[in-house]
Amino acid sequence: MYNKRTKVSYFLTALLLLAVFLSACTNKANEGSNPKGEASPSSGNAGGPSGKPDTSKKVELVWYLLGDPHPDTEKVVAEWNKMLEKELNTTVKLNFTSWNDWQTKYNLLLTSGEKIDMIFASTWADYYKFASQGAFMPLDELLPVYAPETWSKVPKQDWVEATVKGKIYAVPATYPEYTPDGLVYREDWRKELGLPEITDLDSLEAYLDGVKKAKPDVTPINGKAWNEAYTLFKAYHGYEQIGGDSGVVVARSYDTPRDIIAYPFTDEFEAWVKRMKTWADKGFWTSDSLSSQKEAGDAIRTGNGAVYWRNAPGAGGFIVGLKETNPEIEMGYFPFTRFHHYAMPTLSVNNAMAIPKSAANPERSLMVLDKLRNDPKHYDLMTYGIEGTHYSIAEDGKSIVPPASAKNNKDWKKYDIASWGWRIESNSREKQASGWEGFDKLLEEFKSISKPNIFAPVLLDYKPVKSQQAAVNQVFQQYGQPLMMGLVPDVDKALEVFRKQLKAAGVDDIVEYVKTEANKHFDEKGIN
Amino acid sequence: MKIKTEKSTVAFNAIGYTIITLLTLACLLPFLLIVSGSFTAETEIIAEGFKLIPDQISLDAYKAVFSNPAQIVNAYKVTIGLTVVGTLAGLFLTSMAGYVLSRKHFKYRNGLSFFIYFTTLFSGGLIPWYILIVKYLGWKDSYLALLIPSMIGAWNIILMKNFMKSIPDSITESAKIDGAGDFTIYWKLVLPLSTPGLATIGLFLALSYWNDWFLANLFITSENKYPLQFLLYRILASAAVLKTNVAGNLSPDFKPPAETLKMATAVVVTGPIVFLYPFVQRYFVKGLTIGAVKG
Amino acid sequence: MRHFWLELRKNKVLFLMILPTLLFFAVFAYFPMVGVYYAFTSYSFEGGLFGSEFIGLKNFEFLFESGVLWNLTKNTILYNLAFIFIGNILQLICAIFLSELPGKWFKKTTQSVMFLPFFVSFVLVGAFVFNLFSVNNGVVNTMLEQLGLPPYDFYLHTAPWKYIIVFFQVWKGLGYGTVIYLAAIMSISDEYHEAAKIDGANIFQRVRYIVLPMLVPTFILLILLALGGILKGQFDLFYQIIGNNGMLFESTDIIDTYVYRSLAVNFDIGMGTAAGLYQSVFGFILVVTVNAIIRKTREDYALF
Repeated sequence: MYNKRTKVSYFLTALLLLAVFLSACTNKANEGSNPKGEASPSSGNAGGPSGKPDTSKKVELVWYLLGDPHPDTEKVVAEWNKMLEKELNTTVKLNFTSWNDWQTKYNLLLTSGEKIDMIFASTWADYYKFASQGAFMPLDELLPVYAPETWSKVPKQDWVEATVKGKIYAVPATYPEYTPDGLVYREDWRKELGLPEITDLDSLEAYLDGVKKAKPDVTPINGKAWNEAYTLFKAYHGYEQIGGDSGVVVARSYDTPRDIIAYPFTDEFEAWVKRMKTWADKGFWTSDSLSSQKEAGDAIRTGNGAVYWRNAPGAGGFIVGLKETNPEIEMGYFPFTRFHHYAMPTLSVNNAMAIPKSAANPERSLMVLDKLRNDPKHYDLMTYGIEGTHYSIAEDGKSIVPPASAKNNKDWKKYDIASWGWRIESNSREKQASGWEGFDKLLEEFKSISKPNIFAPVLLDYKPVKSQQAAVNQVFQQYGQPLMMGLVPDVDKALEVFRKQLKAAGVDDIVEYVKTEANKHFDEKGIN
Repeated sequence: MKIKTEKSTVAFNAIGYTIITLLTLACLLPFLLIVSGSFTAETEIIAEGFKLIPDQISLDAYKAVFSNPAQIVNAYKVTIGLTVVGTLAGLFLTSMAGYVLSRKHFKYRNGLSFFIYFTTLFSGGLIPWYILIVKYLGWKDSYLALLIPSMIGAWNIILMKNFMKSIPDSITESAKIDGAGDFTIYWKLVLPLSTPGLATIGLFLALSYWNDWFLANLFITSENKYPLQFLLYRILASAAVLKTNVAGNLSPDFKPPAETLKMATAVVVTGPIVFLYPFVQRYFVKGLTIGAVKG
Repeated sequence: MRHFWLELRKNKVLFLMILPTLLFFAVFAYFPMVGVYYAFTSYSFEGGLFGSEFIGLKNFEFLFESGVLWNLTKNTILYNLAFIFIGNILQLICAIFLSELPGKWFKKTTQSVMFLPFFVSFVLVGAFVFNLFSVNNGVVNTMLEQLGLPPYDFYLHTAPWKYIIVFFQVWKGLGYGTVIYLAAIMSISDEYHEAAKIDGANIFQRVRYIVLPMLVPTFILLILLALGGILKGQFDLFYQIIGNNGMLFESTDIIDTYVYRSLAVNFDIGMGTAAGLYQSVFGFILVVTVNAIIRKTREDYALF
């Protein structure tokens, strides 16, 4: 009894200490934010008499980009700040998340309410989720006033794609791209072995088989083969995921967006996993593939692999890079769009800039972005670095080449930061897919079969079914992946277990949820 | 005194040498593989995996690590500074707390021990902690964010308390009778008697400062404040990201750093223990403590 | 309360000496604990921590619904018990030998070498394990081949992985833990040894009757400290060695890896916190119970 009392009194003291500390802290925090508050949204809103926004107050903005700075970024930003200070009475402190654990950090930056005036945003960085949960500031009213040029120049459709629950939460980059999945493969081996050209699944299988049989030291997909197998699976069946990664719940095809199913319960799936079992048994990939950290692309470089999953621009980068290190290798590319003959452009918000809710100076930030996007002087500096040091303009007056000073300097490194958020095609001085010569033809092909991306903008936050979603994702990894890689000893049994576990995890609830939300969205947009 | 060693001692030594040698080999071999891996050509590692003796020696990984020597030197400075300051301050606070909790006449020692231990069980997670440091304390991009949070650890305090408990009460009691205050007893008597414990906790503190990249990862945005481990992790992380879906957005001119880089960074980081450890070992000499005071 | 002020006045200096530490924990540990509340809300940015909707225990459902929780809990506990006991016993043995063996140079070198694994990140351990056990070019399978034995497909069988995981965990912590025991041995007064020698005790007897009993409190302390984290698990170790390989989950899945996989696609702070809370409460009850038992038998061995 006595002992208990000492403990209680002890905790009371601790609480007291805590309270004292907290009050001290909050006072400090309040003091800190007051002076800034004066310059914040409401008061800065009014334009000057000439209709131009008021920039009489000097402001320092904090911007965040993904990835890491270039060694010279500090110098480049200093140059930029000189320009900004003159033109907008503003300076920017440019911070980077670094690639180290960037998702966690990105999440923290937004959740903690840290003062940030602009941050990179993207569908693959959960733009829709963050926007719908209120992490970003709505820009509809600010854009026409503070970023008029951007407001008028960005295509309507791009703004639509950036719209969440009726509001625009990000300024998308203006850089149309197609990034369909596909496979790069050793074309020289195909020719050498007289294998058929890869046009469909059967010829792909024949290719893999031919390579495996003729070259015992080669594992066709050598390393982690999950991406190869999974993207192939989805593309071959024409399954479309809805609203980002929707796991096993898909629209059965592009033409039937409302036919939403959980694919593991289809007959096609059964046939597919049986086929994959034969692929694994034939040694198209190794039995330890799911644990391997090795990229199949690295094995191509060393001559032990033949096939590697890449999206189209990525394939260009890979092939161009390989030409430099291994000129003897000839590569081909098979885009999965050829299974069903349509290609969807990436969403505009694949790369964008957004303003967190906590921003102190959203107006000024938009003004800076407007300059950055539309004034070539700003754009070139922040994208390609300092002219003469990091690049020179080529003879065509448009594209860039390494400057003369780079020739004798071994340490010279092309200026490169994650500038994707403000990329604009018309200002760009570099070609897509790193100038791979095969890309232009491919791009023509994609454009000719282009269909709008109707699936990605469906907004799903899974709130009502989040525990089911978590359980299903888990089941998919534990039972689905080995099955789809053909690694299980008994396919029928494993399939049964997988289906049973999915049911138990509540997959039907998710299908119901996705169906409801998707139909709502399709009704709204008039998609059938 | 017998000079001849007893039979039992011979047996003991034989068993001891065997076990220690085996365990040492188990620790050494993988490390040798890592060292040799760091000197192997990238393509060889990818094609054939680790080997004790590489076919072809390559310095590429080290060239990549030291591609910006000024930055590495600076990072070393930051890390050494943090390690020295953090270890000394941490050791002072930890030993004081450990001393207080080990005093048997101190009534609240159990309650306070519980207060401290409880923090190892429950945590509010990363986000509130981050908010505390960034918003309330304003330590974003400040060395304080690297220094303070890892200065005091519950485990270290409890271990310290345990080490100090073994100091006989008679020593402190007699000092007390002589009129020495609590702090004097701690400073003049208990600390000198606790050298093995201090060396151990000091080593642990130093290691945690030396190995920290987590705090820097969260809080540091200026490159000139990067500690060593974070700088190295950053190089590795950009290599890893280049291999994910995000890679489609990256300029392909950017060559991913080599697989061997992982190993080279491990070697670069481990180096200093070779210097630090023997220094710590000096305090693991038997009989140094009690005897010295009494004699 | 009066007791408290009396005590405070009596031991002013002691209180002052521990005050910085208490403040530290109040600020850096207790204050952020308000975040536990995330476990009971459906988080939204507009609401923040306290403005978000309160949803009771809904965030815990994903753990219980799937029916795997018991199995995961069991796995986690068994792994941690293996780590704790095998690790501590080996460290204890090493420390005893290192303190009693002659040969200064030998002891110093081996001790340093045992510390090396501590510096090897789990990423590297993962790469290393894969190189040992992979089907093509794996060290083990290459050796089997050279011995004329059939290769063994480690990645299709769950059985060996328990041992591999325990081995590497113990391996990594060996040097670190040994130091603690070594320091404890160093604080044993030489007088005991001398007295025992005069009594004619041989080295085995001295270890058995002097060193071991003196190490028991440290041993119990370290076990107690570790028990609190019995449901938390070495995520990096498992994740880097097993990764996403569903083939091996049956015997290598722990709560941390399971939660990570469940939330990898759509991270939810509420559910993440809920899982952590389950682990904490479990560890808390365990430690308080064990500590109470120890307190009953040997008071000075208790943690608090």
